[in-house]
Amino acid sequence: MKKITVYTLSTCPWCRKTKNFFTERNIPFSYIDYDMTDETTQRRISQELDAAGATGFPYVKINDEVIVGYQPERYSNALGL
Amino acid sequence: MSQCKVNIESRKKSLHYFFEKVVGPLGFKFTPDEEIMNFLLEQEVILEGRHGIPFCPCQPLRNDRVRDMQIVCPCIPFHRKHFDEIKRCWCGLFVHKDVLDPDKLPQLPPKELNHE
Repeated sequence: MKKITVYTLSTCPWCRKTKNFFTERNIPFSYIDYDMTDETTQRRISQELDAAGATGFPYVKINDEVIVGYQPERYSNALGL
Repeated sequence: MSQCKVNIESRKKSLHYFFEKVVGPLGFKFTPDEEIMNFLLEQEVILEGRHGIPFCPCQPLRNDRVRDMQIVCPCIPFHRKHFDEIKRCWCGLFVHKDVLDPDKLPQLPPKELNHE
């Protein structure tokens, strides 16, 4: 099974849609709401975003593949759906 | 509780009035998706209440004043090339004036547009 990690903001509708994408398909994933987490975790996520050239959320990692933005077709492709 | 709701709705209207005047000359308009527009405006009112500034609901605050000021809504002038290419701002509150169906606009990061 592929490991899925999602970084989100609690205020972002596209982040909610991203979470729904995985939830509705019963696909296990973990997530961190950037605005609700501690400063150390925020710094780590912020560095990850910069390294990936990402400017905003949602930020999805499916194994080693990073997908920035709400891109359901790419999530499906990465998961082989 | 009801008074708080009224204040949120009132502030949403104020932000809408102000933003419309700013984004129009930049070639943008509010998204025709009213559900998304209302949700985003409400989040901005909440962010304004929390931070004193209506930051973008979909971009992270970095604890860096220069970077954070670049995501104050409407942040189009700071991301003009990127947003012009995807015909929307990152959160989708604003779209190019010629856009009728915002669902067709992918939320692509700058890196996927070969800006870097």
